[in-house]
Amino acid sequence: MTEVGAGAGSGVLVGGEVDDGPLFGARRDEGVLMSGHQLDDGGRAAGEARRRLGERQGAVVAALVGGGGVPEGFDAGRLRVQARSLVAKRRSVVARSRPEVAAAAGEELAVLFAAYAAERAEPPSGYRADADDFAEWLRRQGRLPAARRSPWWSRLLRR
Amino acid sequence: MELRGLGIGWRAEIDLTVERLPGVDFVEVVAEHIRPARLPESLRVLRARGVPVVPHGVSLGVGGADPLSPARLAHLAECARALGSPLVSEHLAFVRAGGVEAGHLLPVPRTREALDVVTENVRRAQDALPVPLALENVAALFGWPDDELTDAQFLAELVERTGVLLLVDVANLYTNQVNLGLSAVEALDRLPLSKLAYVHVAGGEEHGGLWHDTHTAPVPDAVLDILTELCARTTPPGVLLEWDDAYPSDAALETELSRIAAAIRRSS
Repeated sequence: MTEVGAGAGSGVLVGGEVDDGPLFGARRDEGVLMSGHQLDDGGRAAGEARRRLGERQGAVVAALVGGGGVPEGFDAGRLRVQARSLVAKRRSVVARSRPEVAAAAGEELAVLFAAYAAERAEPPSGYRADADDFAEWLRRQGRLPAARRSPWWSRLLRR
Repeated sequence: MELRGLGIGWRAEIDLTVERLPGVDFVEVVAEHIRPARLPESLRVLRARGVPVVPHGVSLGVGGADPLSPARLAHLAECARALGSPLVSEHLAFVRAGGVEAGHLLPVPRTREALDVVTENVRRAQDALPVPLALENVAALFGWPDDELTDAQFLAELVERTGVLLLVDVANLYTNQVNLGLSAVEALDRLPLSKLAYVHVAGGEEHGGLWHDTHTAPVPDAVLDILTELCARTTPPGVLLEWDDAYPSDAALETELSRIAAAIRRSS
């Protein structure tokens, strides 16, 4: 087994995106949804198809991560399985990127993370935020020691 | 530079393992995890040895309705240039909609209407990339109520319209056979394998009658059987093992590669 951390050097961002863009998020990705006239070919028909596709996919994503209802015709049970799988994925990324937080949750990590995820009103804005929010949630539960008090001037150094 | 032989997903956590593993002919790296201007030393070591490295994107959302992000496309292009890659791969999936990130590769409705949109997206991506694009079939836990085409039919149409290459993930074919009743062997018959760029294999887990494509377990025999079927239909290009977490010993990974090699040999 390779040495932990060895070689994980320059240029590697574990569990995050290069452009620090959101993996989850309430804000829109770059670019506004284009209307049909900006497409090369297919014109209005493809533009309308694109709009409809966006709506339908939006309803599915809302059902999976935003507490939305199951869209018409979908298998509710399967969407539930998918939603749980998404939470499990977030949990494993948090565990990888913040092992001390996962360690604090101990054997109950799966249950605790699921409870935290269920309590959220909105999806987190990225894996880093997810890890921070989970850590804060654990602290409120008394499962993680409060963050050490930093000197008053350290606020000036934060991003 | 064509992809041949056996590959493994390069991950920072197992970078030395990947460098030391015998019989690795090519690797793949998640594009979002690297900065082209500051490549990890391990990838530079592999490149110096002449090992092909393929950037594999996971967040482009080719199957989505949003116009493709120029920044994400540029990043993929830069990765390909920095690594001297023969191609770039991504997925036939959507990852965001309505301004919200799903955090996962989700299946596209397999309808002719969606096909028109995805065709447009693929052309945009191809225009932005300096090397060919290969698209991967994804694992699905659910289908859409108005699915008209199989995975293979949808991809075949896409290849016909755009010339996009295929990254056939046999574990995902298995997943969709179990979860959606889409026959893996029929998919292999339908897919234009002359456009096959390379192949993925991976392990997973069964829960409640469904197959979960976890990439954290040995490749099951049923998946290796599908690989054998694929290799019986075409000269196999590279076959790459995906393992993403809970890494086993180096010896266990070596065993997986030899099991994959044996499955390929069984096709002749």
